[in-house]
Amino acid sequence: MPELLRAESISKRYGGVYALQGAGLSVAEGEIHALLGENGAGKSTLAKIIAGSVRPDSGRIFFRGAPVSIRNPRDAQRLGIGIIYQELDLFPNLTIGENIVIGNRSFQEKGFVDFARIEFFCGPVLDRVGLGRGARELVASLPIGQAQLVALARALSMDARLILMDEPTSALSDDAAARLFDVIGALKRSGVSIVYVSHKMDEIFRICDRATVLRDGRVIATEEVAHTTPEALIRLMVGRELSTTGDRLSSPVNFPAPLLSVSHLTTRKLRDVTFDLHPGEVLGVAGLVGAGRSELGAALFGLDRIRGGEIRVRGAAAHPRSPAAAMRLGIGLLPEDRKLEGLMMDMSVAENTTIAASRGLIRRTREEAAIEPLYARLALRSPSWSAPVSALSGGNQQKALLARWLLVNPDIVFLDDPARGIDVGAKQDIYRIIGELAAAGKGVLLASSELPELLRCSHRILVLNEGRMAAMFDAAEATQEKIMAAASGAVAHDR
Amino acid sequence: MTGKRKRLPGDARSLLALAGIVLLAIVFSPAASDGSRIFLQAGNLTDILRQISIIGIISLGMTLVILTGGIDLSVGSILALSTSLAAMWLTGAGQEPGYGLRIFYALGALNGAAVAALDIQPFIVTLASMIGIRGLAKWLTHNANIDIGFGRDVAAAFAEVFRRKPLVIGSYAALAAVFWALLARTVFGRHVRAIGDNETAARYAGLPIRRVKVIVYALSGLLAGFAGVLYAAENHQGNPNAGVAYELDAIAAVVIGGTRLSGGKGSITGTIVGTLIMGVLTNMLRLNNVDSNVEMMVKAVIIVLAVAVQRQRRTD
Ligand SMILES: Nc1ncnc2c1ncn2[C@@H]1O[C@H](COP(=O)(O)OP(=O)(O)OP(=O)(O)O)[C@@H](O)[C@H]1O
Ligand SMILES: [Mg+2]
Repeated sequence: MPELLRAESISKRYGGVYALQGAGLSVAEGEIHALLGENGAGKSTLAKIIAGSVRPDSGRIFFRGAPVSIRNPRDAQRLGIGIIYQELDLFPNLTIGENIVIGNRSFQEKGFVDFARIEFFCGPVLDRVGLGRGARELVASLPIGQAQLVALARALSMDARLILMDEPTSALSDDAAARLFDVIGALKRSGVSIVYVSHKMDEIFRICDRATVLRDGRVIATEEVAHTTPEALIRLMVGRELSTTGDRLSSPVNFPAPLLSVSHLTTRKLRDVTFDLHPGEVLGVAGLVGAGRSELGAALFGLDRIRGGEIRVRGAAAHPRSPAAAMRLGIGLLPEDRKLEGLMMDMSVAENTTIAASRGLIRRTREEAAIEPLYARLALRSPSWSAPVSALSGGNQQKALLARWLLVNPDIVFLDDPARGIDVGAKQDIYRIIGELAAAGKGVLLASSELPELLRCSHRILVLNEGRMAAMFDAAEATQEKIMAAASGAVAHDR
Repeated sequence: MTGKRKRLPGDARSLLALAGIVLLAIVFSPAASDGSRIFLQAGNLTDILRQISIIGIISLGMTLVILTGGIDLSVGSILALSTSLAAMWLTGAGQEPGYGLRIFYALGALNGAAVAALDIQPFIVTLASMIGIRGLAKWLTHNANIDIGFGRDVAAAFAEVFRRKPLVIGSYAALAAVFWALLARTVFGRHVRAIGDNETAARYAGLPIRRVKVIVYALSGLLAGFAGVLYAAENHQGNPNAGVAYELDAIAAVVIGGTRLSGGKGSITGTIVGTLIMGVLTNMLRLNNVDSNVEMMVKAVIIVLAVAVQRQRRTD
C-alpha cells in the first residue's frame, strides 16, 4: 500500500515540558494505525498537530509524498484529514445536524439556515453511525456516548481520506463500539486510513494493522499488530514488565446491615430500581448506553428529582435534593464527563482536587500534604500542581478528578466510569484503589461499559435495561454473555 | 487549543500596563513653579488615590460578581440611594429607618437571590434593580439634592470626617486587603472562581452555588452602599442622580485588571491595578487641561490597549 501520510521529527514543547520530541508517524492508504502510549506520552498532541489544531515547534509532514504545511484545521480539512478529539468539541446548544455541518466544507452553507437541507445531508451519516436520534435534537440533550457518535458522524461527513480518532470508544458501550468497528471496517475497504488512539488492547488487536508506540514524546517502535502480542506492546509503552490480569474478587462475604438501601426508585429515567449496598461491597452497574447507569448516580447524588420509591442511608430515609445535601449524607459521585461535569479547566490541578474537600481558609501546605500521596498512588503526571488542569493529558485529568473524591472520601461513592481514558498501567492502580476502598468499609457503586472491568472489580453486578433492573448477578456466576443478554433485554430477572 | 505565550502571570502584565501609563504621566506632566513635575507631587498622588477610592471600592465587589460569571449593573443606583439616605438621616430631612448599611447588603442579596434561585440572567436582574433602585432614590428625595451644609452641626462634622483623604484612602486600602484575602486565601474565594469557570462541575462537586452567589451580590451592594456614604461626604450632599454609569467604570476597571468578563479568571490585585490605570490616566489628562470630551476618546483607546497588552496571544 502506498504511504498516505508521513510525519517526521515532530517536536512540541509546553513551557519546560516536551509533549513531543522528534516523534513521527507513517500511515499507509487504507491502513488502520494504532497510536499507543501511557497517559501523557504525547498521542493527543501528535494527532492534534496532524489535524492542524496545534502548531508544532518543528517537524515536517508529507501527504501523498508531497510536503504540506498544516497551519489550522481548515488546511487539514482541505487535505482530507478529519479528527475526533479526545475531549469532544461539540456545540451543546446547537442541534445534532448543525454540529455536523458547521464549518464543514462538503456542506456549503450561505445566508439562512435550511434545516430541511441539513437533515437531508445528515440522515445517511447518522444512520451509518447508528445514533438513532434526529438531526434536529440538541446536542446538550445527549449522553456523552451519543455525543461521541455525533463527532464521528461529523468526521465521516467530511469525506476524509484520513481520520484521526482519539480514544473514540472511551465513552461508548460495547454495542456502540462494535458498530464503530463496522464503520471503521467499511471505511478501510473504501481506502480511508485511520489513526486510532486507544488504551484498550483488545480493540487494537481486533481492528489495527500496525501500531506505533510513544513514550515521553518519542517513538519507541512501530510494530505489525499481527506479529506481536498485547504484553509486548504494553512492555514497549511502559518500559517494564506489567501484569494486567488481576484476580477477580472473592465471592461475596457475609455483609452486615446495608449502608444504602434503594427500593422502587423511580425518576425521569429509572423505573422501580431496588437494591442494597453493604459496607465493604463493590456493586457493579452494567447496561447499554442510555440504560440509566448515570441516571442512577444522578438520583443518589441529588441531581435528579425522585418521583417514587425510597433511598435509605444506614437505615434512615434520605432525600438528597442537591449534591451538597448528598455529600452531607456521605454520598459522592465521580461524574462520567470530566470536562463538562468534572473539572474547572482554568483552575490548577491542586485546586481541582481539593475543591470539594476544603473549608474555611486555604492552607496550602496542608493541602499539598494531603494530595501528594494521592497523586503518587494514581501516578498522576503534571508539569506542576499549580498548572491549570487543562494542561494535563486526558488520562491525567481523569486522575485529578478521581483524586478529588478520594480526598473527600465519602462512605458511599458512585464511580461513573472511573478508568475512562486511563492507560493500562494506571488502570490496575485504579482497580486496586477500588479494592482498597471496599476493604476500608466503604460502599462502592461502579458503573462501567467495560464488562471485564466490572467482572474484575465487583462483588455483585446490577444490570439495567431501559431504566429497569434487568438482573442482579453474584460475581462468581456472572459472565460477559449473561450480562450482555440481560442488558439487551433478552432475559428476565435472574433472581 | 489555546496556547500560552512565554508567560508573565496576568497580574504582572497589568502592572506593566500601569507602569507604562505612569511613565507617560511623568513625561507629559506640566512643571510646577519650582521646576518639579506636578504629577509627582505628594498632594497630586494622594489626590489620585482619593479620586479612585469610590470606583475602587465598588470594583472590589464587582470583581467577585464577574468572577462567578455574573455582572452587577445596579451599583450606581445603590450608590445614589445611599447618598440620599445618608443625607436624609444626617439632616433629618426624612425618616431613614436607621438600618444603616445593612439595607444595601440586603438589596444586593435580593439581586443574588433572583440570579441564583429564579435562575434569571444577572444582566437582566441587575438591569431591573438599576432602574428600580434609582427610582426609589428619586422618589424618597422627591428628586432633589439634599445638602448636608457646612455649619457646625453633626451633619457637617460627619461630612468633614468622611471626606478626609486618609480616611477615604485608608478605607479603600483596608477593604482592598480584606477582599484580596477573601478571594485569594479562603475557600469561599476559590468557590467564586470555580462557579465562573464551570458551574455544572461546581454543582457536581457539591459546592453551595446559591449561597455563594447571594453573598457575592450582597457584598457588591454593601460596598456600593458604603461608597455612597463617602460620596455624600465628599460632595456635602445626598444626590439621587449620583453614580450614573459608575457600574461601567467599575466593570472597566475590573476588565482592565485582567479579569475575564465571562468569569473564572481574575484577581483583586488586577482590579486594583486596573483602577489605578484609570485614575492615573484621568489625572494626566486633567493636568494637561485636555478637554473632557477628548478625555473620553483617549480613555476609550487606552482601555482597548490596556486589555490588548494583557491578552494571551494564541501561539498554536
Ligand atoms: N495545553 C497544554 N499546556 C501544557 N502542557 C500540555 C498541554 N497539552 C498537553 N500538554 C502536556 O503534553 C504532554 C502530552 O500530552 P498528550 O495530551 O499528548 O498525552 P496523551 O498521550 O494523549 O495522554 P492520554 O492518554 O492521557 O490522553 C503531557 O505531559 C501534557 O501535560
Ligand atoms: Mg490523549
